Amino acid sequence: MNAAELGFWAILLAGAIRLATPITLAALGETLVERCGIVNLGVEGMMALGAFVGVWGASEQSWGLGLILGGVAGGLLGLLMGLAVLKGGVNQIVAGIAITLLGVGLADYFFQIWQPSGRSAVVVPLVPILRLPMLDRLPLVGEALFAQSPLSYFAFAAVIAATWALRRTTPGLRLRSVGDDPEAAQLRGVDVVWVRMATLVLGGVLAGLGGATITVGYLGSFTDDVTSGRGYVAIAVVIIGRWSPVGAMFGALLFAGFDSLALLAQSSSVGLPVEFFSSLPYAMTLLALVLTARAQHAPRALGRAFGE
Amino acid sequence: MRKLYHARSESLRLSLALLVLAATVVLLIVVAGADPWQAMRGLLDGAVGDRYAIAETIVQSVPIAIVALGVAPALRAGIFPVGSEGQLAIGAVTATAAVFALKGVSAGLAVPAGCIAGMLGGAAWAFVPALLRARLNVNEILSTLLMNYLAANLLLWLVRTVLGAAEALATPRSDRLPIEAIIPKLVDGTRLHWGALAVLLGAGALAYWVRSTRGLGYDVFATHRDLAARMGVREGTAVMGTMLVSGAAAGLAGWIQVAGLQGILYPSVAGGLGFTGVLVALLGGLRPLGIVVASLVMAILTTGSNGLQTDTGVPASIAVVAQGLVLLGAALVFAARQRKARRAIIDFGAKPAEKIR
Repeated sequence: MNAAELGFWAILLAGAIRLATPITLAALGETLVERCGIVNLGVEGMMALGAFVGVWGASEQSWGLGLILGGVAGGLLGLLMGLAVLKGGVNQIVAGIAITLLGVGLADYFFQIWQPSGRSAVVVPLVPILRLPMLDRLPLVGEALFAQSPLSYFAFAAVIAATWALRRTTPGLRLRSVGDDPEAAQLRGVDVVWVRMATLVLGGVLAGLGGATITVGYLGSFTDDVTSGRGYVAIAVVIIGRWSPVGAMFGALLFAGFDSLALLAQSSSVGLPVEFFSSLPYAMTLLALVLTARAQHAPRALGRAFGE
Repeated sequence: MRKLYHARSESLRLSLALLVLAATVVLLIVVAGADPWQAMRGLLDGAVGDRYAIAETIVQSVPIAIVALGVAPALRAGIFPVGSEGQLAIGAVTATAAVFALKGVSAGLAVPAGCIAGMLGGAAWAFVPALLRARLNVNEILSTLLMNYLAANLLLWLVRTVLGAAEALATPRSDRLPIEAIIPKLVDGTRLHWGALAVLLGAGALAYWVRSTRGLGYDVFATHRDLAARMGVREGTAVMGTMLVSGAAAGLAGWIQVAGLQGILYPSVAGGLGFTGVLVALLGGLRPLGIVVASLVMAILTTGSNGLQTDTGVPASIAVVAQGLVLLGAALVFAARQRKARRAIIDFGAKPAEKIR
């Protein structure tokens, strides 16, 4: 595959959008959660559990059930995180690490019970690709933008909807007020604990759905560490995107672009080692994190427990 | 009177929460088709059943404890590096490389050289996120997490190429270290080695640090930056110092995992030890004794769950689930105790006159 060919860029772009979808969903959830003032380090665990539960649901019945169950599993972990942080007063970072351990552990545990090692992996049918007629025949961007999984279209629509909701609707305003000045919001009659709890559950649902997107949307099977740090990447792209849903989406595209490049490089012989390309997405995410570190616009009450 | 009632209902809710967490583990074992009581005994048997099992549990706890003791000063200062996993891997690489580079120079140097190289390697890997946090205010949690993936790839590449074994193998690994580079055994017939001494030294060092004036200043830094500045604690120094120490400790653990066990560098050398170490530091309340005890508990969970898998078929990943639940439970207890202490302070502050009377 030659970088001078148009086909190369079309495949790279299509891969980038495919790989960006799960991260976009998870990062959208994390954006909302952070906008209401909470750092959720449990995204990785929520994605891992969603990825497993998704495959299980898809093999039991259909990909639709898989996606729903994946979202529910993530939402339950979000609820647990909310109970620990908002009712139990646990430090957000510690709770997030615990949730990640729980999610990853449960996913591996049930996977091993379901499919003991040595047996061949269960492969489930994928969410079918949705081609938009005419548009998919556009040069370069046709295949990439208009012949994708419905999940990709959904992620894009969700980002737009969330942007609008944050700016223009009362729940969006409440959510932002809770993240910037919870004490003042409480005085004005906003139930801070309830808003944060609901947002954490929503964030969990989106992370779980993101995880299920990896397996039910694109891979068709589950393996240990199938998320490979994408939950952490989702948190990083929230910062890179300066706490805006659209920004997070572009952050996810940055990671996914290099991830797509790494996949392409593995299938063709390039002089550099495979590990170099596998490192690229993480290295570039770190670089973007560094470049956006100055002039941050974090929600003012981010990470601070309510009432402290 | 009302306050008393409130406190009682709170401890009731806390016990209920802990009960639910414990019940989850029992439920998971039942789901796997095993008898929980038998499984619990299998776990303890696997971890502390005989002399060899006990030694094996201690061997498991050593790298976890070292990582935890090293990361504790940073966590005490409110800095949250989660990069021990990668630093451990890099420490293992530099230690292995140093031993092979010095091959044939002097046999007596192999152990100290590996030890120092491991610590330097770990510290070097921590230097980047430390500098980024100190200078550019880059979130250290995320930078260290991302660096872990870079370290894993670097390790994989090196073990496949430069540090790879001379013979062709299906799974990449290094050659065996020369015998003089292996840490001597502490107890014959087991894998318990002198590296365990590093835990005692580290615990002693942390005990000293916690009691020192400087250590107090760093504790203050976590919550009151301005006050800490007046106590002479500068942000840059605090960030760089504590993060480099945590990196060096993780690197030391990396050397121990190579030179203390089989003498072979595998791509899986870190294997979650770095994450468990950070967890143990939190569980141990960031205090030396607590950390050593917590590291043993985690080691019992790990070795025990391996025994459990072979005995009853309950997947060993139950250990990871249990770790998460234990951390959540401990954090709940800790938060409840802190609330109680705060209430006591508020009571005292609100009614000083009554207290005197």
